[in-house]
Amino acid sequence: MAFSRGRREVSGPWGLRLAAGSVVALFSIPFGYLLVQNASEADTFWRTISAPEALAPLGWSLLLAVAVSIAATVLGTGAAWITTRTDVPGRRLWRILLPLPLVIPSFIGAFVFLTAFAPGGLLETMLAPLGVERLRPFHGFWGSFFVLTLFTYPYVFLPAAARLAQLPSSLEESARLLGTSSYKTFWRVVLPQSRGAIGAGTLLVFLYSISDFGVVQLMRYDTLTRVIYATRLFDRSTSLALSLQLGLLAVAVVVLERFVARGTLRADLRRTQRPLQLSLRGLLKPAAFAAIVALVTAALIVPIAVLLWWSLRGLRAGTMTAGELLTEMADLTGPVLNTSGAALAAALAAVAVVLPVAYLSVRHRSHLAGGANAVIVGGFALPGLVVALSFVFWVLSAPGLGFLYQTLPLLVLAYVVHFGAQSLRTAQVAVAGIPRNVEDAARSLGADRWRRLVRVDLPLMRPALLSGAGIVLLSTMKELPATLILAPAGFQTLAMKIWSATQSAIFVNASLASLMLILLSGFLTWALVIRGTTVAR
Amino acid sequence: MIGSASGRGLGATVIAVALAAALLPGCSNDATLTIYSGREEELIGPLLEEFASSAETEIDIRYGDSADLALLIESEGDSSPADVFLSQSPGSVGFLDEQGLLATVPEGLLEDVDERFRADDGRWVGLSARQRVLVYNTELVDEGELPASVLELTDASYRQKVGLAPTNGSFQDFVTAMRQIEGDDVARRWLEGMVANESPTYADNLSIVDAVARGEVPMGLVNHYYNYGYLAENPDAATRNYIFPGSDVGSLLIASTASVLASTDQEEEAETFVEFMLSRDSESYYAEEGFEYPLTDAVDAADGLPPLDSLEAPDVDIDDLGEGLEATTTMISQSGLL
Repeated sequence: MAFSRGRREVSGPWGLRLAAGSVVALFSIPFGYLLVQNASEADTFWRTISAPEALAPLGWSLLLAVAVSIAATVLGTGAAWITTRTDVPGRRLWRILLPLPLVIPSFIGAFVFLTAFAPGGLLETMLAPLGVERLRPFHGFWGSFFVLTLFTYPYVFLPAAARLAQLPSSLEESARLLGTSSYKTFWRVVLPQSRGAIGAGTLLVFLYSISDFGVVQLMRYDTLTRVIYATRLFDRSTSLALSLQLGLLAVAVVVLERFVARGTLRADLRRTQRPLQLSLRGLLKPAAFAAIVALVTAALIVPIAVLLWWSLRGLRAGTMTAGELLTEMADLTGPVLNTSGAALAAALAAVAVVLPVAYLSVRHRSHLAGGANAVIVGGFALPGLVVALSFVFWVLSAPGLGFLYQTLPLLVLAYVVHFGAQSLRTAQVAVAGIPRNVEDAARSLGADRWRRLVRVDLPLMRPALLSGAGIVLLSTMKELPATLILAPAGFQTLAMKIWSATQSAIFVNASLASLMLILLSGFLTWALVIRGTTVAR
Repeated sequence: MIGSASGRGLGATVIAVALAAALLPGCSNDATLTIYSGREEELIGPLLEEFASSAETEIDIRYGDSADLALLIESEGDSSPADVFLSQSPGSVGFLDEQGLLATVPEGLLEDVDERFRADDGRWVGLSARQRVLVYNTELVDEGELPASVLELTDASYRQKVGLAPTNGSFQDFVTAMRQIEGDDVARRWLEGMVANESPTYADNLSIVDAVARGEVPMGLVNHYYNYGYLAENPDAATRNYIFPGSDVGSLLIASTASVLASTDQEEEAETFVEFMLSRDSESYYAEEGFEYPLTDAVDAADGLPPLDSLEAPDVDIDDLGEGLEATTTMISQSGLL
């Protein structure tokens, strides 16, 4: 009874179940909407999703999502290991910079990469003196794969780095004392213990990739989301049927993932004074350094360079004077505050909301937790426009909720439902990591449930929870479609500024707002996530 | 150590300041005129501000893609906060008109505008017009080689050379116009011909202009003003607009529109607003700032643009564009372009 599995009390205390039940209801908003909309035409639904015109894009979507998931997992895990467990130079800086590509909205990010790498782009111009005539075409599958991988590896990097930074060193020390090489230690000791965290990130990359529209649209790659977009106004039944299909696909993947990943959540998160740090010898050190520099360059420096180039070009062409530039920057103050406020609120709320589900799923055997898991993750796979319209539908049709419409609390709630999945798995890893003997000790000392949560669990879970909050934060800061629909009147975010500038081909304004977004996310990531997840050295 | 006390203090301060700042604005009252605008903020934002101050009316503006906003208004139904809908093109307006969500613009306002650019049933009035053109790269294409009609672009000599934006509303309006003027068969064959020619498809007009400027594709079908905006920041770009001669359907004029919603409780203010948007000053503004064609007689086109009545654009009743759009998107998607 007192050991491992026996501790999973069968259904959980009623308070926890009630909380988790409310969370399920909240996260069912988009699915409920899609079911209601599709219910009247059930046979149309089946016909639509099985039609060849829909199956081909589904196949393309899956192909891209799987490829991006693999590549992003390798990059994210590798970067996390190098920056947390080795003595590569500049570790602290890299840990702030590496998550930032997550904040670049895909509609501007893909455009940036086109400007840089497409035929006739900046790279080609730079290589021209070297005799390079024409670069390979940069679009379709490979273009999408390249851009999405660079913008999604932080989903793996953040949880993996948080996990690696506090992995107990005892096992690794034993392995090395027994003469196991560092390479083997990584594969046999470090990786298995980080599997849960890495897998959580991979799942997010997969879901992001199947639901992305901005990159595939600009890269001209035919996915399910492009069909959903193209049919949204004049072929509603197709658009709604394919949206539901996307959501159900995500649910299926989650069920599968839970089945495969069973047991990987159990982990010991006791903090060590410092995690084992490998000192890289010989050529390994410059190699590791070069790898990190290459990744940061491709994913962050190149976009920033193109954005700066756009700004300078605008200044030189005289579409904007230096004085106007300053005014434009000052005008960004409101959007900067709005973006930070809404994103912080969404990040904290998302973590708080998924925590009961995390407790229920880790500590108890509960079907409720399984269901919660599925709807929460499903919300991330749905296009932002669909999530937003589902909120419009329910808030305006449910009596007495109308006053919430297009208010900030509702917008934040929509962010939570859309991005809650991003903090769920890290929350589960966090709960699983609370050593039961510590809890038992607190209990035997007479601490009640709340006191144990506040004084014991939360401090222990802090790094993992913060890494989850950090991901929600960055995703929310760049969110556009739901924001355009649900934001209070006059509420402007940086993503909205960037979008409206690109609508008018005013690259200089788009680049200023984008640079501001990257800067702001860097600051917030540092202030709220990095400082909290770094073991003091 | 789990981060120092000062670390927590900083984090908490950042959160508190940002939350407070975000929660402060956003108060509105019932006397506010709410405008859903599919037109770009960069262009019409200043104009709307001017209206707010001169008419002493509170306004709330929601910007977005015209089609997304039409979907939103449809979802909101009778409880829509919107009083006025400004659209990039009549397509999205037609969708709302079919749902019976639009009121009639007063006769007096409609009369100011050429009848080609207003709805027969009075459900929308055109504010400005944009023209469909072929944008081309002067380093890759000789102007003399350009075709006399958009219909010739299916010729094998244009294989892979013409960029299209099949999901774009203006492209769809153009196909609807082609169906009206030339018939469904011609339109279908043209679309299939463009597919057979492996014409590259792009996300939107701007992506096409950018691709043409880089030389990735030598030409593309777009709205005329994108190239002006692009050239403003890239004076060296080799992109030029080509207008198909005569009354070719390839040089269609498309109106941006204003409509009053049936659910509005501020009809009077809404109509005052539409009147303002049609005023001489506003029309000059579209011409000067947006390089668009003004639609009232009182105002001339901007320098470098031919006057509207000199354009031999095809005679299409734009009113029919919206209603035919559903069939058009089906046709585009069946052709394999989408």
